[in-house]
Amino acid sequence: MAVDRADGRTPNQRRPVACTRGILHRAHGSASWAQGDTKVIAAVYGPKAGTRKNENPEKACIEVIWKPKTGQSGKPEREYEMVLKKTLQSICLLNVHPNTTTSIVIQVVNDDGALLPCAINAACAALVDAGIPLKHLAVAICCCMAEGGHILLDPSKIEEQKVKAFVYLVFPNSMVSVLPQGSLRLGGELMEHGIITSVTHGMMAVDDYFSCLKLGRAAAAELSDLLRSSLKLKAGNDPSKAG
Amino acid sequence: MDQRQANSLIMTVNEKKFIESALLSDIRVDGRRPFDYRNLTIRFGSEDGSSEVQLGHTQVIGFVSAQLIQPYRDRPTEGTFAIYIEFSPMADPSFEAGRPGETAVELGQIVDRGLRESRAIDTESLCVVAGKLVWSIRIDLHIIDNGGNLVDAANIAALAALSTFRRPECTFGGEDGQEVIVNPPDLWEPLPLIIHHLPVAVTFGFIGKENNVVIDPTHYEEAVMGGSMTATLNTNGDICAIQKAGGDGVLQSVIMQCLRIASVKAGDITSKIKNAVEAYNTQRSLRKIKRHDPLPDEQGSIDVAKYHMERLTLGSDVSTAGHSNMEIGSQSNERDETNKKNTTAKGFSGRPASWDPYSRGVDGDALKASLASRVTAPPDKHIKSSRQVKADVAKSSQRSSDTNSFQEAKKIGLQTDESKTLKDAVKPRQKRRINKSTSNSAAT
Repeated sequence: MAVDRADGRTPNQRRPVACTRGILHRAHGSASWAQGDTKVIAAVYGPKAGTRKNENPEKACIEVIWKPKTGQSGKPEREYEMVLKKTLQSICLLNVHPNTTTSIVIQVVNDDGALLPCAINAACAALVDAGIPLKHLAVAICCCMAEGGHILLDPSKIEEQKVKAFVYLVFPNSMVSVLPQGSLRLGGELMEHGIITSVTHGMMAVDDYFSCLKLGRAAAAELSDLLRSSLKLKAGNDPSKAG
Repeated sequence: MDQRQANSLIMTVNEKKFIESALLSDIRVDGRRPFDYRNLTIRFGSEDGSSEVQLGHTQVIGFVSAQLIQPYRDRPTEGTFAIYIEFSPMADPSFEAGRPGETAVELGQIVDRGLRESRAIDTESLCVVAGKLVWSIRIDLHIIDNGGNLVDAANIAALAALSTFRRPECTFGGEDGQEVIVNPPDLWEPLPLIIHHLPVAVTFGFIGKENNVVIDPTHYEEAVMGGSMTATLNTNGDICAIQKAGGDGVLQSVIMQCLRIASVKAGDITSKIKNAVEAYNTQRSLRKIKRHDPLPDEQGSIDVAKYHMERLTLGSDVSTAGHSNMEIGSQSNERDETNKKNTTAKGFSGRPASWDPYSRGVDGDALKASLASRVTAPPDKHIKSSRQVKADVAKSSQRSSDTNSFQEAKKIGLQTDESKTLKDAVKPRQKRRINKSTSNSAAT
């Protein structure tokens, strides 16, 4: 069924993505990620010496600081920091640099819906820019359940406020490997079908959630191809930025 | 504590001596002469009142927002404004999240003093109901990259954001006519702030014992300098503020020379800010031109929709890498411009064209002839807010919009529509007052 979205997109169409790496000069790694009008800048400093007090010193520690566009940091910012920290902890190789801290600072430039997925994508690109060892990339997308029961991909802020429920999904990026096909599966399922993070707002039926997962997975696969080609674009030698 | 000291910039003696001895030959480490500014780039975000300033390696973003509050008791007819500076941890490894340090507070004070005491922003025009409701302007500045000379960059970001900010229009309504209604920006054109002049900050660093002066110090020079002075001036020749907090003693003659140089630099920076703001306003007004199918039955989509649609149709994903500037704002604007050149009737519609005189289309050749004969727009024209255009009209209007002057469009207290150039470009006889209530009733 043809659904009229306010900006004319089809239900399965995401907004155009603009990704720029290496925008800051002091930070060890930086990236800016814009999905439509939502824009986030991420900067990475690390690995720095020492871990925070209660963290395990045998592993690297990830610290996330979320700066909102205006106003003080409050409870929503704490939640975003926690989700981002847990997501990034699962993609970083924490044993490579034990007893170190990697700080990721997120600055919201504009919020037009799907803010957390945009931030996760920006943070991932910034980690790559900084050269932090990662297992794989994280690709984040947002799906929402509109009034009529259909699923929309990558809602804008107006759409997010109107829908019954929406979910932020983070998947690993699609694998390109020289290994035989079977080793990419884990318990019979493809590794890239695994969900790293899922945060829902509002109430949705179980079947709807599974349809969101399916749509999200397909969108994430497409987005991960874009991410891979964009990360390969970095041309030339980069002078060392540490210190 | 140890962590912070480990993160701050430690200058070796060699680096210090190198900077000082290079200055004796009037050369600076990045190749500039002592009184040269770094490259200044001013960009704007998609919303009104958001700016991104890049001064060499220093980057600052500014946001302006407004809300209605009760005024101070001793100033019942004046609005207020406040500046919040955030030294983001991404700018420098020694910046910590949380409470602002003393440099952040000092920076905030310098920018605030330059704007407040010189009365650059007209606060009386921010009053809605005397004694009860006034607009409170909030300026948020985020330092995201510390390449030195944060004061100047933050000041320029604040000025640029204030110049492009639009506040919503307020009207009285309700049962007794006393209730204040804040009109949403897509129905009533929001108003710009009244800014009397632009106070520009120029910072000097004093390095070494021989009174070597450098303008716009980088963060290496800041670590080496013995003292600094910031002079805030405007192009009218007024000194709005001078800040020299401690540091090495400097001869009077040197101070006077610095002030003379500062006034020249302030003129340069002011013209750069004004050019950037004008370019932004041109693009903003082009965005506001509604274009729709010649089908009067279909109901309206909003301005935002049209804008998104145009960006999406060219919507190829953009990936760039390297030490590139933040391209997004300018790229999307470029996409808009090219899109306007190429677009014909798209599959969506704007407001019904029932009161549009050109609902049957426009004769392109006659328009081009009339455009060639027109030079500038008469200043007291009121314009309608939406009309139907063809692609070639859009092209020729773009050319004419570059030559048309925009200053007369900014009228205090009146609702002027931003799509002035197109209207002027078309035909002079269609003078109509902007009366939104009648236009809305005609449209529904």
